[in-house]
Amino acid sequence: MSLTALVLAAVVGPVAAGQATLNGLVAAGYFALGAVGLTLVFGVLRLVNFAHGDMLTFGTYVTLGVTALGLPFWPAAAVGVVATAVLAVLLDRLIWEPLRRARTSTLQLFLAATGLAIVLRYGVQFFATGQVRSVGLDTTSSVDIGPWHLGTLQLAVMLIGLVTIVLAGLGLRYTRLGKEMRAVSDNIALAEVSGIDTRRTIRITWLAAGGLAGLAGILYAAAIGSINPNFGFTILLSLFAAAILGGIGNAYGALAGGIVIGLAQEWSTLFFNPRWKPAVGFAILILTLLLLPRGIMGRGKARA
Amino acid sequence: MIGNKFVAAMLAAGLAVASWTAGAQADPVNLTIGKLLEVTGPLSDTGPSQDKAVKLAVQFANEQAAKAGVQITAKDIGADVQGDPQAALSAARSLVDQGASCLIGPSITPESIAIANGVTIRKRVTIWPTGTSMRLRTIKDEGTIFRTVPPDSLQALALVAAAEDKLGGASGKLVSVIYRNEPYGEGLAKNFSSAWQAKGGKIQGPIVFDPAQATFDSEAGQVVANNPDAYIIIDYPDTYAKLGAALVRTGKFDPTKGFVADALALSTVPNNIPPQAIEGMRGTEGGTPTGTDAYKIFDSLWQKAGGAEHYSLDANSFDAATLCFLAAAQAKSSDPGAITDHIRSVTTPGAPKFYLTNLADALKAVDSGQKIDYIGVVGAFDFADNGDPTISLFDIFEYQKGKLVVIKQIDAARVTE
Repeated sequence: MSLTALVLAAVVGPVAAGQATLNGLVAAGYFALGAVGLTLVFGVLRLVNFAHGDMLTFGTYVTLGVTALGLPFWPAAAVGVVATAVLAVLLDRLIWEPLRRARTSTLQLFLAATGLAIVLRYGVQFFATGQVRSVGLDTTSSVDIGPWHLGTLQLAVMLIGLVTIVLAGLGLRYTRLGKEMRAVSDNIALAEVSGIDTRRTIRITWLAAGGLAGLAGILYAAAIGSINPNFGFTILLSLFAAAILGGIGNAYGALAGGIVIGLAQEWSTLFFNPRWKPAVGFAILILTLLLLPRGIMGRGKARA
Repeated sequence: MIGNKFVAAMLAAGLAVASWTAGAQADPVNLTIGKLLEVTGPLSDTGPSQDKAVKLAVQFANEQAAKAGVQITAKDIGADVQGDPQAALSAARSLVDQGASCLIGPSITPESIAIANGVTIRKRVTIWPTGTSMRLRTIKDEGTIFRTVPPDSLQALALVAAAEDKLGGASGKLVSVIYRNEPYGEGLAKNFSSAWQAKGGKIQGPIVFDPAQATFDSEAGQVVANNPDAYIIIDYPDTYAKLGAALVRTGKFDPTKGFVADALALSTVPNNIPPQAIEGMRGTEGGTPTGTDAYKIFDSLWQKAGGAEHYSLDANSFDAATLCFLAAAQAKSSDPGAITDHIRSVTTPGAPKFYLTNLADALKAVDSGQKIDYIGVVGAFDFADNGDPTISLFDIFEYQKGKLVVIKQIDAARVTE
């Protein structure tokens, strides 16, 4: 990556290459933060959660609703994160747990998730209408770093994203809970036999994934400034791409995947019209998967 | 006996004929006008004013018909097209199922194309889009699509005039062009660029962006690169909220160098667009001559009704609904095909002219089967063969303190002279 950056700097000049790199890292921050919850749920529960994007939307609209009641944005954001986490646990009790017990197949789970995504999106639309809404923060202020510039909120999102992902990664690796999650991920029956309270572990997984989804949605909305009820669904594909590219189930993988897609898209604008940006991002996804079928940080051997 | 029977039969037949003709005279035309409104989606800012424009046209035409003693009444029904061709098609289907004989709107060209191909061409229902893209004219509409707004081939020339006006000519001036990846932006950008280059100007781009992107910073950087003399930005309000912020973040953006087209003609700038991205920017929109008596009536109806403020192309939709009403009155029918066949005979150049000021007389004239040339609030239509108007009046506006202020009106057809 850094080698590519140096080559780019030599070809198009350090200012243009540096700016494209910064823009790419901003996009990477959005994608990675959004993908962590997704990768966690897939890693632990083997669930392709198509409703994840709409969880981002849900958290953001709860936040906007609470600000409309008079609370300032950041305390309202905390309410939004908690509400999304609670929603995720509730949905597990109402939908995912019964389906798990019935040993529903992957395809049926996927369809249930798609259905849930649509219900959530229209639920938000029912209460908030489809109007474009402003988050109301100053999206125009920027910080200059030498010849380069970066939105203040974009920088904040990048830093919060990085800290959150590192904490999630450390938590999974070193805490007892993280170990339990990995145990459930590897073999749920074995985990149960060895005395792990799998229901509790799963509930906490959802709590974390929901909270992360809410946080990702709120930060993304804050940085772009203006949203409608489709925004979570619109970026869902990029979140999946980041999660899969990084190696599913791995928090750092989501970060790596987000960085690769973000940088590939923005670097491509140095050579091609920005209209081709999404195509380049996904072409890189396919290429990387051809070279590293389990993703950048995926485990070396096939899972049982 | 025979004689009596004959007389009785004649009497009965006579009565039947009399009651039939009396019935024909008394049978009023009940017209339903459908509104295809952008209530949600990227152009949701336009929904309320379009709704109000058609409502007012229907109310006013009903009053004038009653005054003239012409047997026609209309009502309006609406549906949300959501900025999405699929949703627009189902909205149009539902309006036609509810008996709509003409459809006013929608605002986005791919929506119009979906509606025309999916339902209106087959049922010979006229649609009156406010979308201005030339892409609309690539389909065989069999004479069912009329526009009261001039197409973008003319708006592009109005943009050239607006930029020339500000820069003192085109020769040697570098203009950066960016558009949202849709037929509307593509057509305008292409026409603007070729007209600008023909006048000796230079073009940077066009830079094309996908509205679903997470970031617009690289695109914004390309717009301001090489410090151009002006930027042409063809966008919608929802994405400009994001692109505009990205432009400001470059630190090199000067909104007074910016020019936008009618999709970004906003009577009041919504609060999600940062002021630093739009204050002092200029733009073009289909113009309405505001000095006429017709405009005064239209404006007083508008102000009296309260609710939505004036918005881009409201007079055009008002006129579209009035034309549909006149055509139905002339056809003496609410049959969509009959209305379609009479649009041109109420806008015939050379026929006696009527205006909103004497709409009651216009209704009497069409009721007697006369051809007329109805001149709308926006001007004479003189529909070309493809259904586009030959009017070419455009407003050049500027954003001053968050409000759209029209600074001059120009005839785009004269720009190339």
